[in-house]
Amino acid sequence: MKQGAIWVRPFYYLVVFTVATISLYPILLMILSSFKKSVDIYKDPLGFPTSFSLDTYRTLLSKIPFTTYFMNSIFVSIVSVVLIVVVCSLASFYIARFKFSWNHALFFIFLLGMMIPIKLGIVPLFILMRDLGLINSLWSLILMNTATGIPLSMLILTGFFKTMPYELEEAARIDGAGNLRVLWHVVLPLMRPALGTVVIINFIAAWNDFFFPLIFITEKMKRTIPVGMMSLFGEHSADWGSLFAGLTLASLPMILLFFIASKQFMEGLTAGAIK
Amino acid sequence: MRESTASPLTKRKSSKRWTIHLFPIPALIIYGMFVLYPILAALSYSFFEWRGMARGDFIGFRNFVTLFTTEPYGSMFWNAFKHNILYFVVQMVVMNGLAFFLAFIIYQKIKGAEFFKAAFFLPRLLSVIVVGFLWKLILNPNFGTLNVLLERLGLETLQKAWLGDPGTALIAIILVNCWFGLGFGVLIFLAGFQGIPGELIEAAKLDGAKGFTLLRTIYLPLMVPSIMIMGILTFIQSFEAFELVYAMQGSMGEPYYSTDTLAVFFYRLAFGSSTASGTTAIGLGSALATVLFLFILICTTVFLRFANKKDVQM
Amino acid sequence: MKQKSKWLWLFLLIFVVALVGCTSNEKTTVSTTPDKEEGEKTEEISLTIGSWRTEDVAKYEKVIALFNEQHPDIHISFNPTKNTEYNTVLNTALQAGEGPDIFHLRPYAAGLKLAEAGYVEKINGLNGLSTFPEEALLASRDKEGNQYGVPINLSSTQFFYNKKIFKDNNLGVPTTWDEFIALNDQLLEKGITPIAMGTKEGWLLSLLHGIVGPAIYEGNDFYQAVLAGDKDFTDAKFIDSIQIMNDLKKYFPANSEGLGMDDIRTLFALEDAAMFPLGSWEIPVVLEMNPDLDLGYFPIPSKEGQKTVTTWVDGSFAINANSKNKEAAKVFLEFLTTKEFGELFVKEFSMISAIPGITSDDTLLNDISKSTANEATPYMWVTNFTGGDPTTKSLLESELQGMYLGQVTVEEVAAKVQENAKTWYTPFQK
Repeated sequence: MKQGAIWVRPFYYLVVFTVATISLYPILLMILSSFKKSVDIYKDPLGFPTSFSLDTYRTLLSKIPFTTYFMNSIFVSIVSVVLIVVVCSLASFYIARFKFSWNHALFFIFLLGMMIPIKLGIVPLFILMRDLGLINSLWSLILMNTATGIPLSMLILTGFFKTMPYELEEAARIDGAGNLRVLWHVVLPLMRPALGTVVIINFIAAWNDFFFPLIFITEKMKRTIPVGMMSLFGEHSADWGSLFAGLTLASLPMILLFFIASKQFMEGLTAGAIK
Repeated sequence: MRESTASPLTKRKSSKRWTIHLFPIPALIIYGMFVLYPILAALSYSFFEWRGMARGDFIGFRNFVTLFTTEPYGSMFWNAFKHNILYFVVQMVVMNGLAFFLAFIIYQKIKGAEFFKAAFFLPRLLSVIVVGFLWKLILNPNFGTLNVLLERLGLETLQKAWLGDPGTALIAIILVNCWFGLGFGVLIFLAGFQGIPGELIEAAKLDGAKGFTLLRTIYLPLMVPSIMIMGILTFIQSFEAFELVYAMQGSMGEPYYSTDTLAVFFYRLAFGSSTASGTTAIGLGSALATVLFLFILICTTVFLRFANKKDVQM
Repeated sequence: MKQKSKWLWLFLLIFVVALVGCTSNEKTTVSTTPDKEEGEKTEEISLTIGSWRTEDVAKYEKVIALFNEQHPDIHISFNPTKNTEYNTVLNTALQAGEGPDIFHLRPYAAGLKLAEAGYVEKINGLNGLSTFPEEALLASRDKEGNQYGVPINLSSTQFFYNKKIFKDNNLGVPTTWDEFIALNDQLLEKGITPIAMGTKEGWLLSLLHGIVGPAIYEGNDFYQAVLAGDKDFTDAKFIDSIQIMNDLKKYFPANSEGLGMDDIRTLFALEDAAMFPLGSWEIPVVLEMNPDLDLGYFPIPSKEGQKTVTTWVDGSFAINANSKNKEAAKVFLEFLTTKEFGELFVKEFSMISAIPGITSDDTLLNDISKSTANEATPYMWVTNFTGGDPTTKSLLESELQGMYLGQVTVEEVAAKVQENAKTWYTPFQK
């Protein structure tokens, strides 16, 4: 490394800058375009908007109950994530830290859910939800998000549980700690990087889910942001400025939440290394 | 080193604590009810005859036979299958390779690491519908950023109808998917790097390992779990690739099936094409889903077995 | 660190509890309002309408308001789903025995599939059905003659053109096919894109063939022969019509293989292309983009100068067989057959009403409406060839796309379409 040290660092920066630009550009384009007029988007797609006007946003927001959609989305996403984290930490702790003969099979059953398009089962699911009285209830979305989030979360959590040294756990057990205490006080704090990942991934998935709200929710006031926003698209298919404003509105809450919460997650991510 | 830590976990204690067996129950209930049950119920559809949306008689494996022997299904299947393989290979090399490298760079404690992590991850926050829409605009042949950029750079000859040309449409979509998923890979790999105990690195460095040797002897073996996770995930996601294709090219895998994937083909069969005049072939759709499921299942099993064996060797 | 994570959890928990509180509050307020109304009025019936017309929410509110002037006791909510997902959403709900009371039925075979599965209520003998011409009712009538839907609007496809571009270049509306081609060549010479069309989205291709084809294979005669099974898609004239599709490509904009609906609409609306072969429903959309556009249309002329516009019924309203309020739903459907509705529809929706004799203030729409009465040829791909799997229509679309990309020859397109149609279209099977 020493001989390379002179060029290695600048090279690193070049790479991350290039990739970051490519990552951010389309999002910037979306936000900038939302301030433009449709004609300008076509005539000069790369240019900056000539004037910043919030009118498009105002008309859009007057047409839909954005706060309601936002609260619905927040509620669904948070409850789903909490449920996923709780049930998956318990289950993956069981699978990764104990060696029962059926654990392999159990793990595999949990992974099966990733291998098949869940859309296939939409009719049985619809009937199930109806019988549970959950059509037009946000709980149908929460249950679906939780259930469909389980396979990936199990994979991540079990994988990381396995890499953790056993010594700490042993020490706690010798002190007489029960399983729940070991999990809560010893294992989970060490799992923050993986938990952070699970939280982010599932929050995003729940937030952006489009298919299930479309099927299970028909009441206007129970819609979540993506479906609520999508209902605007038909009306504005020719007005690209409004369309971009809609896309921005659908994405912005998630981006803002990420920036507010990311400090926590990123801290969690680095915590493992500092140790 | 695995040998020393992998002491069998206190069977004596756990047998006393039967309550431990309650731990996986909540997950199993939710998962069983809302994933396993509906999927199994729907898989059984593949053994029945379907007339439109009405279920007919039990016909055994005839849907499967039709799927592979009757045109155009047979050639559509293999065409889509090839695209899925390309999806996997490109994502593995471009997305995961780049993600691994980026994670390694961030792990070197560069300045602005927080910013870069967030930047790489940001696309992942968007809904696939938004992603599809944005990139459709960027790749638009006449107004799109990419072609305008090429023109300003004096590279007009490279201009293309990226999503309309069967030669570039699929690869464009896969690369958009890489753009979308890159940050997740970085996150997983970074968590992996950061999970490596610092003492091990220090010890290796004291032993004189550096650069490539360090990467090969210390980092790579310890990164196997993360690499495995990303490998399996990428495999499964590649073979279930649907939303981006659907959002950008519709349910026909346009142009001329050049972006068709198995999951898109499945959607077309099970729900009809998204245009007004869709007809459904629920039996064939379920049969296709079953085949896809078995394929992913077998490959993942083989992969996990292989990975487990390697794990033990280390 | 442990402390911190505890706080994070606590915060999440409080947040969730607060939110549950909020939503349950909402619920109670929602449930109290109908009670109050019930106190004031007796027996309020609520109906829901499912549709793919997300763009028409405000317009349907006006329709419902008009309906409520006569029937204040029937409360209706219009709940559309995005066009591309409508089939999935509706089919799922219907299969589970649920779904909206009234729904927008896709025209012809696609909608009749739902009826065949028993999800749609028969409305034989519904008051007002007799106002409609036979062809309009056919869109939602099965082989046994049972009627399932009330037709709402006719769609017609034709060439729109930019009157200003035509005038500036001293061009007139073509009266024969050769004039049409000459017109295209002249525009091309002057550096103007003649036809705004793209081949990225398949449905645009069957639509274009629906417009141009009849001019080549002599419209209704060929259609009647296909209906009778006397001619099929191996006919030389049909192959010619595919060949013409291929020949027209040189009049499309640059990069046409990458252009979709939004792109070609924009090209035409921003006056970068002279003609726009599309449906009547595009008029308000194009004019919204560019209100100054001087928009005209012409029916496509054949070699002999016979003119055609291509028409079909675009949607009907039907009643869910599982609806609990069928009688009320029938009252609404009857309302949809009235002149009052037809006039409101034409005025608000800028579309052609399926009810004959309804005129609007919009001259362009009126003229097209007249054309659909006098120069109509059915949009064969929609009216007769939405059967098969994949449907003959979508097969045609894919194969035409393949042709434009140079992967399939003209003859192969015709052969494949014929092969597909033969598997299910009974007149071809004898």
